[in-house]
Amino acid sequence: MLWLYLHFPHLLLDHLRRAFEEPAAMVVVSGPQPLVAQVCPLAQQQGVQVGMRLKTALTLVPDLAIHPGDTARTEAVLAQQAQWLYRYAAQIVLQPPDGLLLEAGSLRRLYGGVPELWQTLQQALAERRLTAWMATGLTPRAARLVARQGPGTCEQEQERLKARIAALPLAAAELEPRTQERLTRLGLTRLGELFQLPAAELARRLAPETLAYVQRIQGQRPDPQAFWQPPHHFHQQVDLVREAEQAQGLLFPLHPILAELEADLQWRQQDTDSLHLTLSHRDREASQLSLRTAGPEHRAGAFGELIRIRLEQHPLSAPVMALALTVRRFLDRDAPGGTDLLGETPDLREAWYTLVSRLQARLGDGALQRLAPEADHRPERAWSGVSLRPRSAPQAEASQQPLRPLWLLARPQPLQQAPVAWLSEPERIDSGWWDGERVQRDYYIAQLASGQLAWLFRDVRGGWFIHGWFG
Amino acid sequence: MDYAELTCFSNFTFLTGASHPHELAERATALGYRALAITDECSVAGIPRAWAALRDSPVTLITGSYFVLADAPEAAARPRFFLLAQNRTGYGQLCQLITTGRRQADKGKYHLPVADVEDHALDHCLCLWSPPTADEADLEAALACGRWLQACFPGRCWLAASRTLEAGEAQQLERTHTLAERLSWPVVATGQVHMHARECQPLQDVLTAIRHNTSVEHAGSALFQNGERYLRPQPVLQRLFPAQWLRETLNIAERCCFDPGSLRYEYPSDLVPHGQTPAAYLQHLTAEGERRRFPNGTPLSVQALIHKELALISELHYEHYFLTLHDIVTFARSRDILCQGRGSAANSAVCYCLGITEVDPTQVELLFERFISKDRDEPPDIDVDFEHERREEVIQYIYQRYGRDRAALAATVIRYRPRSAIRDVGKALGFDPALVEQFLNGIDWRDKNTHWRQQILDKNLTRNPRIADQFFTLVGRIMGFPRHLSQHVGGFVISAGPLSELVPVENAAMAERTVIQWDKDDLESLGLMKVDVLALGMLSAIRKALALISQQKGRPFGLPDIEREDPRVYEMLQAGDSIGVFQVESRAQMNMLPRLRPERYYDLVIQVAIVRPGPIQGDMVHPYLKRRARKEPVTYPNDEVRQVLERTLGVPIFQEQAIKLAMVAAGFSAGEADRLRRAMAAWKSDGDLTGFRDKLIQGMLARGHSEDFAERLYKQICGFGGYGFPESHAASFALLVYISAWLKRHHPAAFYCGLLNSQPMGFYSPSQLVQDARRHDVAVLPIEVNHSAWDHTLEGPGPEQKLRLGFRLVRGLSRDAGERLCQHRPDEGYRSATELRQRTGLAQRDLEALAGAGALAPFSDNRHQAYWQLLGHEREAGLLLGEAPEEYRSDTLVTLPEPSEGQSILADYASQGLTLQRHPLALLREQGHLKHCFNAQQLLAAEPGRPVQVAGLVTGRQRPGSAAGVTFVTLEDETGNINVVVWLATAQRQRKPLLTARLLHVKGTIEREGDIIHVMAGKLNDLSHLIENLNVRSRDFQ
Repeated sequence: MLWLYLHFPHLLLDHLRRAFEEPAAMVVVSGPQPLVAQVCPLAQQQGVQVGMRLKTALTLVPDLAIHPGDTARTEAVLAQQAQWLYRYAAQIVLQPPDGLLLEAGSLRRLYGGVPELWQTLQQALAERRLTAWMATGLTPRAARLVARQGPGTCEQEQERLKARIAALPLAAAELEPRTQERLTRLGLTRLGELFQLPAAELARRLAPETLAYVQRIQGQRPDPQAFWQPPHHFHQQVDLVREAEQAQGLLFPLHPILAELEADLQWRQQDTDSLHLTLSHRDREASQLSLRTAGPEHRAGAFGELIRIRLEQHPLSAPVMALALTVRRFLDRDAPGGTDLLGETPDLREAWYTLVSRLQARLGDGALQRLAPEADHRPERAWSGVSLRPRSAPQAEASQQPLRPLWLLARPQPLQQAPVAWLSEPERIDSGWWDGERVQRDYYIAQLASGQLAWLFRDVRGGWFIHGWFG
Repeated sequence: MDYAELTCFSNFTFLTGASHPHELAERATALGYRALAITDECSVAGIPRAWAALRDSPVTLITGSYFVLADAPEAAARPRFFLLAQNRTGYGQLCQLITTGRRQADKGKYHLPVADVEDHALDHCLCLWSPPTADEADLEAALACGRWLQACFPGRCWLAASRTLEAGEAQQLERTHTLAERLSWPVVATGQVHMHARECQPLQDVLTAIRHNTSVEHAGSALFQNGERYLRPQPVLQRLFPAQWLRETLNIAERCCFDPGSLRYEYPSDLVPHGQTPAAYLQHLTAEGERRRFPNGTPLSVQALIHKELALISELHYEHYFLTLHDIVTFARSRDILCQGRGSAANSAVCYCLGITEVDPTQVELLFERFISKDRDEPPDIDVDFEHERREEVIQYIYQRYGRDRAALAATVIRYRPRSAIRDVGKALGFDPALVEQFLNGIDWRDKNTHWRQQILDKNLTRNPRIADQFFTLVGRIMGFPRHLSQHVGGFVISAGPLSELVPVENAAMAERTVIQWDKDDLESLGLMKVDVLALGMLSAIRKALALISQQKGRPFGLPDIEREDPRVYEMLQAGDSIGVFQVESRAQMNMLPRLRPERYYDLVIQVAIVRPGPIQGDMVHPYLKRRARKEPVTYPNDEVRQVLERTLGVPIFQEQAIKLAMVAAGFSAGEADRLRRAMAAWKSDGDLTGFRDKLIQGMLARGHSEDFAERLYKQICGFGGYGFPESHAASFALLVYISAWLKRHHPAAFYCGLLNSQPMGFYSPSQLVQDARRHDVAVLPIEVNHSAWDHTLEGPGPEQKLRLGFRLVRGLSRDAGERLCQHRPDEGYRSATELRQRTGLAQRDLEALAGAGALAPFSDNRHQAYWQLLGHEREAGLLLGEAPEEYRSDTLVTLPEPSEGQSILADYASQGLTLQRHPLALLREQGHLKHCFNAQQLLAAEPGRPVQVAGLVTGRQRPGSAAGVTFVTLEDETGNINVVVWLATAQRQRKPLLTARLLHVKGTIEREGDIIHVMAGKLNDLSHLIENLNVRSRDFQ
C-alpha cells in the first residue's frame, strides 16, 4: 500500500483568492480570543505565524486582511477539493480541516507510476492556484505527518520512506501534549528513537494508546479508513472578499466554477440543462436564480454567456457576498433533452419547485414573493416581501402588531384637503436614524370629505400626507 | 402650573438610561421642575451624583427605585412599580428591599418575588404602579395585581400614566381610567424618562441594542418607537395630561422629603470601652503608643504635633475612623502580618503612635504640615497596605468583627473607556467585528497628540462620512457611561447599624464578597468614610526576609532593628543595583537612580514619584536633575512659591505641589483647587481638564510667570490625571524602598529568599532574581528531594548561608504533594524512588514532575534513566480493551543516553523556569554562534560611540508613553542584562525580529551617560532557531 497525503496550509485563503486577487497579506482567524489559524505566504514573510494572537499579527502587519474561519465553512471548502480530486483518484479520505488522503498504490498502473501521479496532481493544484504540501507514505499517518512538515518530494522507495518518518521530530508527531512532555523528559527527540523502544515497555511505561498510535504510524497495526463518497450533484461555492455590488463583479469569480463544472460534466460524460445559482447577501435572504439552457450543454463558455445575459437583465437586489452553483440534473449525452431520466424522484415538492423556478425564470427574481412582518417601527419597513422558501428568521407576532391600515401606499401622497373628522390621538414615530432614512412623523386616523378613512401623518417639516387607507 | 417628574432612569440603570444623573438634574433645573425623582431599576447608585448636581438647585431630589417582580400574586399580572422614599426611614426600607433583591441574584441582577415585598416593611414608601397593557394581561389580572399592591401599600398607591405617543396608547389610557375607577386610586402623570433630551434617542437605541446583544438595525421592536422619553418642557406636558394628574405629581413630591445629604456616617462605637468618650480613648491609645515609640520621652515638637492633630480629629469627629484603623492594624500585628499606612492623614504623629505608619515624624517633619484639611470638607484618606498573601485574613477579621450586615466593600463603577466604547458602538451599528478589532489595534493609545478619533480617520478605515460622524458622536457620548458595578480593590465601609439601611448591598463576582452600590467618589461627596485594606507583595517579601534573619541570628529581628540612613544602602542604589528593590526596580527607575543619586530618605520619596507620567509629561525631570547636580541655580519667583517648592528645589514633582501651585501661582481659590483635584482623579474615565487650562495659564501669566512654565505645569497636571502620585503615598513607599534595599545590601540571601517565596510579584521572574542573587555572591542550590522544602530556604550557619530552591518552583507539582514529601522524609533522606512512593503515596503525576525537575538526582545520575524507571511503575488501568496485561510484561533492559548539557538546560527551563547550570547564552557562545558579540560585562568597559554586537534572550519589550516611538528591549546573557534602544524607524523596518524574536542579535552603537549604558540598535537579527525549545518568559509592553 502506498498513501499520498495533501496538506493545505492555507486552504481558506486560497479559496478566497480564487474570486478576488487581493494583494494584501491575509490571515484566517478563529476563536473567541482570536488566534491566527491560516497564513498566506505574504503574511508569513512578514512574521505572522499560525497560532499567533491576532493582536500580535496586526502589530506586525497593520493592514492585514482578516477573514473569520469557521469549521463548517472550512469543511465545505475541503469537500469541494475532494470533488475535483475524485476525478483523479477514487479512494479519498477527508481529514478535516485541512487534509486529503489518497490511496496511491492502486493508481500506479493508471498513471504509469507514482511520479507521474504526483506530477498530474501538482499540475491540477497549480491550475486551481491551490497550495498543498504532498507526501507519500507507507501508512496513512506516516504520509500525513510528513506532508504537514512542508513541501516535499515524491518518494516511493520503502526504505527511504521508512527513514523519512523515523527522522521526523517528535514535536511533529501529533502526540498528546502529555505524552510529548514525557518523551522529551526521556531525552527522545525523533520518532525513530521511539520506534526502537521495545513495544511492551512503551505500552507499560507510557500508555497502550501511545503504542497503538506509534504502531499505526509504522503500519504494525491496522488503521482502517473511511473513504469519501462523492455527492450525486455538483456544488461549488465562491466567497467574495469584497462584496460585489454589480453583476459585472460576479462574472470573474464565476469562471473557475464554470470551468470546474465543465470538467465535471466531461468526466461524468453527461450534460445538463438547468443551473441553480445562489447569491448570498449580508443582511437579507439569498437570491435564487434558476437558469435553463436551450438544450443539453456542458461548455463553460455557454453557461457563462447565459448567466451574463440573465444578470444584465436583472440587476442585483443587494451586494453579493458569496455565490454558489448547483447542478442536480444530469442528462446523458445521447439522450433527448428535457425529460427526467435521472436525478431525484419527482414529488409534489419538486413540482412546486419546478413551477416556482419556471415562473421566476420567466418573470425574473423578486417578481414572486410573499408578505411578512418585519420588526421595525417605520411603517414602510414594518413589512417586507420575502421569497417563497421557508423562512428561518423569527417573525414578529401578529397580535403584537400596532394598528395599521391594510392598504399602505407605496409612497405617501400629499393631503389635498382638510379632513372632516379626527378619529385618534397622535401616534409619534421617530426611528431609523441609523440608515439615513429617518422617519419623524405624527400619525392620525381621520375621515376625509369623501368618507374615506385615511391614515395621515404630519412630518417634521409640517407637511401633511396620506400614508394609507383603512377599510 | 408646576410639575415633578417621578419616574426617571439614569444611566445607572445600565444600558437603559441614556443620560448621566447630573445631565438629568441640570435639565430638570432648566425646565423649572419642582422635583425630580431618580428611579433606577433596583438601585440607588445614581443618587449621590444627582444629589451633588442638585445641591444648589431649587429642584428637589426624590430618591426612588423601579422594580419588576420575579413572579406574580395569584391570578394577577406581574407587578412592576416605582417606589419613592418619603423620609429617612422610607429610604432605609427601600435600601433594604433592594439589598434583598440583589443578594438573591448573581452579580448585576436582582430577584424579588412577591413574597419578599410582602415581608418587608415599606410603610414609608409610596408606590407608583405601571399597569400591564391589554396585550400583557386582561383586566381581571390587572385588577388583581392592583389589589395586591393596595394591600402592600394601603393609601399610598397611584396609577402611573404616561403619554409617550406610541401605538396603543389610547387603549392603555382607557385601561388606566378603568383601573383608577375600579380601585379608587388617583392617577399621576409620569414621563417614564430615559434621557434628559430627545437628542439622546440614538444613544438610547444603541444602548438597547447593546443590551440585547444585537445591532440597532436588527433590534426591531426592542427599540422605543420614538424619542418621547425625555424631560419634556412643561407646556408640552400640560397639553398631554389632565391638570389633575399633573397636580398629583406635586402632591406626591410634597410627601417625599428625604434628603441624601442628611445621611450621616454612623461609625461603629464598638471599639470604645464602656464609659469612655471616643476622644479620651483615642488620646489614651496615642499616649500608649508614644511611650513605645519614644521610650526616652517624646520630643517637644512631636508632642505639640500630637496635640494639634488630636484637637483637629475631635473637632471633625473623626475619632472612630482612627480607632477603626488602629483596631485593624493591631489585629494584623497580633497575627504578625506586616502593614503600612499611606495617604495624607497617614503621615501624622498620631498615626505613627498608633502604629498605622512607620514614617517617623522626627525624621521628616516636612510632610506633617498637611494632615487633614479643615477648610475642605474632605474625609481623611488613609490606605493601609498588608502582605498580599495574608490580606484575606484581615478582610475576614473585618467581616467577623463587624458582621456582614455592617461591613461591605465599596463599589467601583466600571465605565465605558475608548476601547469598550468603540467595540460596543461598532457592534450596535452593525460593523464587522474584525474591522472594529482592526480599528482598535491601529490606534496608538499612548499618542495623546493626535486624538484616537483623528487616528481612525487618518487610517481611512471608514469612507462613509455620515456613518463615521454617527459613530464618533455616539462613541463620544457613551464614553464614561457606567457599565456595571465591580468591587473596589479594598475600600471597606463599616457602619454602626445595618449597612443596608444606609446603602443597598449587592453581590460581587467573587463568592462571599458583597459590595455597596456607591463608589469612592459617591462616598466622598456624601462625606462618608471608608477604610482601604490593600495588598502589597513587597510587605510579604520583607516579612519573610525578616523571619529568615531572625532565624539566622537566633533572636527576633524586626523593622525597628533596621539601621536608618545607612550610606552603604544609598551607594548601592546610586549604582542602579536595584533588582528586586521595591518601586525602583523597573528599567526606567534603574536608569534614574544613577542620575538622581539618592543620599537620604527624602531623595527616595522624590525618586519614587519622579518616574511617572506627571513629572515626565510636565518636563520637570531634567530641570530637577540639573538643579540637584548644581548645574542650574535654584530660584523662586516669590516666597509663596518658595514655600510650595522648596523641598523639591523649585521644581514641582508631586501632585500636591501642582495643586498648591495652581493656588499660589495662578490664583485658584480653595474650592477651584479642590475641583481641579477631583477632575484630575476622574480624568481617566470621564473628566476633562481643558476647562482649567485657560484659567491656569492666564492666572500664571498675570502673576508674572513665564508662559513656558505655565504650559508645562498644565501638561504635568494632565499627566497626573489618573496616575496621580501624591507625596503622602510616596513617603510611605520610600520607606519600603529603603527597607528592601537595606535587606538586599546586608542580607542578600534572606532578601532573595523572601522575594522568591512571595512570587508572583514585582517586575522580575524567578529566573532573573536567581541570576541576580548569584551575581551578588549568593550560593544557590538546586531543588533536591532530600533537602528542599516547599518554599525556598536558607541552608547552613552564619552569614554564608546558601539559598536552597524549593518545590514551589516545580511546574505541575501540587503544594499538597510537596508538603507531604517533606513531612514523611526520614532523617537520612529517601533512598529510592520506590521508597519515596511508598512513604508518601505521591501520585504518579507529582513524581514525574519531580523527576522532570531533576529533583530525584540522588537516586540516579542519568535524569533520563531515572524518569524511565519512574514510568515503569505498574499501573492497573489503562490497557486497551481485549488485550491481556501479560502482553506488556517484559524486562528488556533499555538504556537511555545521558542528557547533554543543552538538554539539561532545556529540561530545567521547562520544569522550573530557570536553570542553575550554565546560561544558554554561555553554551551558544562556546559553540561559536555568537562570534564578535560583547556580553553585558564587556559592555561596561567598552568606549561610547563604538559599533558593537550583542545578543541575548529577550526578557522585556517596552514602549514607554514618555518616549515617543522608542522601544526598549532588555536582553539577558550569562553575565547580566543589556539595554537596547530601538528608534521608531528602525523598529518599523524590522518589526518581525523586534516583535517575535526570543533570542535577539543586535548590531548597534554604544551610548553612555554616566553609569548608564545603552546599545542603540541598528540591525536586528532573530536567532530564535538556536533555542528552539527553550521556555523563557518575556515581559512585553506591560
